[in-house]
Amino acid sequence: MVKIKNAALAYKTLNGLICVYKPSCVSVRQVQHTILTNLCRDLNELPDRPLEKRVEIVGATNAPMEVKLLPNYADDPLVCGPRYIEKDFRCSWATHLGLFSSGILLLGINDGTKLTYQLNVARLTRAFKVHGQLGKATDTYFWNGRTMERSTFGHVTRDKIDRIVAHMQAAHQKSMYEVSGLHIDSQTTYDLASQGLIRPANSKLPVVYGIKCVHFDPPNFTLEVQSVNEYEKYLWTLIHDLGVQLKTSAHCTGVQCIRHGKFDLQLALLRKHWKLEHIVDNMDDCRQLLEENENLLRPKTAKLTV
Amino acid sequence: MNALKLFVKRRCPNLLISRTATTKKKIHDPQEEEKLPIFQYPISKSSDRRVYVWGLAETGALGIHMPRRKKTGKKSYRNNFSFVWYPMRSSFCERFDVTEIACGYGFTVASVKTSEQHKVFGTGINTDSQIGYHAPRIGRPLEMLLSPAPIYIPYKSLETKITGLAAGRAHTLILTDNEGVYTLGNNAYGQCGRKINPNEEYRGSMASHNIKSLGKEKIIDICCGQDHSLFITESGKVYSCGWGADGQTGLGTYDNQGHPKAVKGDITSEKIVKVTSTGDCVLALNDKGELFGWGNSEYGQVPMAKNQQQVNMSYALVNFTKGLGKIVDIAAGGSFCLICNEYGDAFVWGFGLLGLGPNVQHAKNPTQIPPPLFGRNEFNPEAMVTKVACGIGHLAAITNNGDLYMWGRNRHGCLGLGHGKDQNFPLKISVGAHVLSVKCSVDHTVAMCKPFT
Repeated sequence: MVKIKNAALAYKTLNGLICVYKPSCVSVRQVQHTILTNLCRDLNELPDRPLEKRVEIVGATNAPMEVKLLPNYADDPLVCGPRYIEKDFRCSWATHLGLFSSGILLLGINDGTKLTYQLNVARLTRAFKVHGQLGKATDTYFWNGRTMERSTFGHVTRDKIDRIVAHMQAAHQKSMYEVSGLHIDSQTTYDLASQGLIRPANSKLPVVYGIKCVHFDPPNFTLEVQSVNEYEKYLWTLIHDLGVQLKTSAHCTGVQCIRHGKFDLQLALLRKHWKLEHIVDNMDDCRQLLEENENLLRPKTAKLTV
Repeated sequence: MNALKLFVKRRCPNLLISRTATTKKKIHDPQEEEKLPIFQYPISKSSDRRVYVWGLAETGALGIHMPRRKKTGKKSYRNNFSFVWYPMRSSFCERFDVTEIACGYGFTVASVKTSEQHKVFGTGINTDSQIGYHAPRIGRPLEMLLSPAPIYIPYKSLETKITGLAAGRAHTLILTDNEGVYTLGNNAYGQCGRKINPNEEYRGSMASHNIKSLGKEKIIDICCGQDHSLFITESGKVYSCGWGADGQTGLGTYDNQGHPKAVKGDITSEKIVKVTSTGDCVLALNDKGELFGWGNSEYGQVPMAKNQQQVNMSYALVNFTKGLGKIVDIAAGGSFCLICNEYGDAFVWGFGLLGLGPNVQHAKNPTQIPPPLFGRNEFNPEAMVTKVACGIGHLAAITNNGDLYMWGRNRHGCLGLGHGKDQNFPLKISVGAHVLSVKCSVDHTVAMCKPFT
């Protein structure tokens, strides 16, 4: 861990991307606010620059005058307020995470906002763990909704879930051609398609590339979903659709983002670590990761890499 | 008045704020949930099958037209479609336990699990009585059936089971477990396996022919080309009859053959397990996974040393398919062939829309279709092609996950992609069940599926 000596230096290093773990039921804006207020608090606690001096020239004008350097109270934090406030930081997220989702959130601070824009345009895949429960359907598709229907689920087996999930995956991968913005009869489409998966051209429609059941303990189950352009509600509806296909009903009990491009949970800062020194460290790690994987920011082809 | 306006203005933002999402747990009245009934949805049995049909419906080959009881309305049929662009569930197959299905040129036959007389049903074009004699009025046989009707076959015992069906351009073969093969329809070239009578009238014919056994052996598999028929016996011998102008009977001649005779050439010493033909080229597979072929070779389907275009005897294609591994499934289309090997790779050669992109029209040697097109990618590395099928101009492959991929000429929407445009590379067909097998014809396709739950 780097020893930070001085608030001004520390502020200058705060330009880049950080990877934090967003808890559920805390909105992304709230996360931003907490991080920025924590940063301001920690910067203000650091040794400040010396106070500016005020020059005072005193004495009679017809005699040699005296020049005095006096402390300038206008520059005193007790007068002008804390040195760093939230407004001094620019902050933006790479992709939004819904209120009830938890997991990896990439935030750009100051000049890092440019990086988040690039990451957003690069449309990296995100991996989610989506937890569901069988036997109950709610109006919002999430556990906190009003129960709309209850049904039996004794017939559901791991095998059946796997089969339906594989079918859903194949059906979603077909939609990738439609959202890739390519003409289906062209040679380019064929060349890209024969190499593998294609990234979507815009951020309008969600594309699911992989769905896998990773845990099944009736009535609870967990799917691992790899996708681009998805949003919280969409993942909830996936669970609901799976329930319908399984001839029962299901609702989502939780969504956790476990990977965003190459950023994984190892890198994510927990809420207790949202402090200046950890954030500076994390920013370094993220910079390293971005340098190692250039195609994260500037992908050269429409082929899906991560 | 002004004060009131201000008041209204100030109230609005407050209202909006109070409507935003709350992080608090919304707990509804638990009593209310307890009061809800618990539904039990019906679950399918493991023996249940679903059949999806798509393509040209005008001929009645899809059997989706359902007669109305009272003909008071404008249309006398429900589902009066000309084309079915997307896979559609066949209601006939919901009512009966369908075991086998075959697609001919504009007609479909399906066998039903029953111990009664009507075991086989047919629908579609019936110009040559290929789906039996159906006459609502005496002496006026129907030339087209829009919904499935039972085919009368003189079975010796009602316990007989149908184990296979095959359909050609205008003839049908029905394979039973211990009564041999029954043939129906056009016999102008001897494709029904009986003597050719040039003056025979096929329209409104009630004739059906029974081939009990071939070479004193039980017949275990059948296959129909355009106007020829192929039979596999228990010991793996192949017999053929019918139109032979391109050598598709493999009997060493270019003549038509009435009674089935054993195919000559390299396969006489082999145990053949599968034989396939749609047009006039034939491929055969032996128990070791080696490929044989004969028939039309205009586009190099059965490549010969001397660029011969009609191959009238079976030839081993072992050298041609060297390095592809053990071949698992084969399919011969109108001008191309498609095979898949034990590693789940699909190979294609011949002429047409082969699935190798818009720039490739012709492939001399077996060329692999890139596996990512069949869904093998980093998220699903185990996807394998396990079954293949060909129509005259379109191709199909089924993966181990039960996904159906199709490509080729999209005549009358037979690819089921929702439009009539040709498809240059394999694309998944939206069928809502686990596909077990697919039958392709000229202009319609039938998929036999298993429901997920």
